[in-house]
Amino acid sequence: MHYLKELFSARELLLNLTLREVRGKYKRTVFGQLWSLANPLASMLVYTLVFSFILRIKPDVGDPSGLNVFAVWLLCGLLPFIFLTNVINDGMGSLVNNANLVQKVYFTRIVLPLAMVGAVGFNWLIEMGVLIVALTIVGAWVIPWIPLVLVAMVLLAVFGSGLALMLAVANVHFRDTQYFMSILLQIWMYLTPVIYPVSLVESKSREFGGILGTNITVLDVYKLNPMEHFVGLFRALLYDNRWPDPQDMIACVLWAVGIFALGLWVFRRTEKGLAEIL
Amino acid sequence: MTDVAVSVEHVGKKFRLYSERNQSLKSAIMRGRRSVHQEFWALNDVSFEVPVGSTFGLIGSNGSGKSTLLKCLAKIYYPNRGRIVANGKFAALLEVGSGFHPELSGRENIFLNGSILGMTKKEITHKFDEIVEFSGVEKFIDQPVKNYSSGMFVRLGFSVAINVNPDILIVDEVLAVGDAEFQEKCQVKFAQLKKAGRTVILVSHDMVQVRKMCDTVAWLKNGDLVTVGEAEQTIAAYTDSLQGEEP
Repeated sequence: MHYLKELFSARELLLNLTLREVRGKYKRTVFGQLWSLANPLASMLVYTLVFSFILRIKPDVGDPSGLNVFAVWLLCGLLPFIFLTNVINDGMGSLVNNANLVQKVYFTRIVLPLAMVGAVGFNWLIEMGVLIVALTIVGAWVIPWIPLVLVAMVLLAVFGSGLALMLAVANVHFRDTQYFMSILLQIWMYLTPVIYPVSLVESKSREFGGILGTNITVLDVYKLNPMEHFVGLFRALLYDNRWPDPQDMIACVLWAVGIFALGLWVFRRTEKGLAEIL
Repeated sequence: MTDVAVSVEHVGKKFRLYSERNQSLKSAIMRGRRSVHQEFWALNDVSFEVPVGSTFGLIGSNGSGKSTLLKCLAKIYYPNRGRIVANGKFAALLEVGSGFHPELSGRENIFLNGSILGMTKKEITHKFDEIVEFSGVEKFIDQPVKNYSSGMFVRLGFSVAINVNPDILIVDEVLAVGDAEFQEKCQVKFAQLKKAGRTVILVSHDMVQVRKMCDTVAWLKNGDLVTVGEAEQTIAAYTDSLQGEEP
């Protein structure tokens, strides 16, 4: 509690550091903020080409929205996942990249990873805005769901912050962390139903039956992945325009709160020694 | 006791000198133990009190633990033994222009740097003109700071820091920034701070400056406190000891 109060009193610093990242990032580029849209668009084109036209993956038609556009369906899951990837990558490096600052000035260290979450989140907000416009154009009635989408975004940001806090500390101790994570994030994306529908896993799981004669199915193990629930949440709200599966909602809240609490605890315990180790 | 600004009580700071350090995961796992290190006490049982409103100097040769102590005072390091109690808001000036982003303008950087040093937006807005005027970079305030000359850069950084207006200001050898004119301005500013009853703790190798500014001086040697006391005598004892070593 005391710690949250300290964090609250540092909100102006957090805002200023976030603005530093946002303003500094695209300085001296011709297209500026537009570049933040380039990356997800390029991924969308590649994945749509490969998975929709070549491999012929057909996700379920949006219910009740009636949408049937692979590219848009993909983006509903891809944008949150790209956000998480960026939060992890930028947040993880935040302490090491600001080593000079940490060694020269006292301030609540936690603002460094959180400012990266803020800066990445700002870009994500723009991406999601564009996606909502695109969804409306292809015929989804997404506007009433915007408040819930925002709640889901906050939940994912909290979840990502928790991971970033832990990994930022880990990266100070072992610089291997960043290389390890870049591999892990690739694997993680393919273990999450971002570019294929979860129904493919369901049918395979049914064929396979219980693992080693138990009642546990492949799908049960698959659903241990928190991002499976987050992607489910975003797809339901954005693509299908319906209330998400309550299981997904509960899982998302629990994962977000749990991971954030753990991240805060880890960060707090190690915060004081950071200036020496860096 | 309200007339003590900072009290340093039996402070000890230990560093580990690693002969082999587990900086990568591989080395940690391969060796199967934590790491090989020796302990080194950079500060040993240092105690003194800094009275409110005084200018307090820390002197000593290189490696005597001055900067380590200063970093402990600034809450960047945490002492392994003893404790430091500060009464009032403090600001540490260990480096000028901390957190300046080269691509951002002088104006944006003032707000950024000010908030890193613990000022609120209101305070910065209030003091903005004063900061700019003190730095003497009015004409270039909306230019990115990467285009500043190195003198302008440090002057701007210093101006922000000196305007934080803390009860206790901790300064590390940064007074030697800018040209003679700017140095003169700094001296005036320090005199003003002193008049306003602020406490200043500074580290310097420049004995002329220390003699001019400080009331009380602490002399550190190899992490031990040799003496603490009135400026003139302590400085004399310190310079005598140096002459004794190098005839």
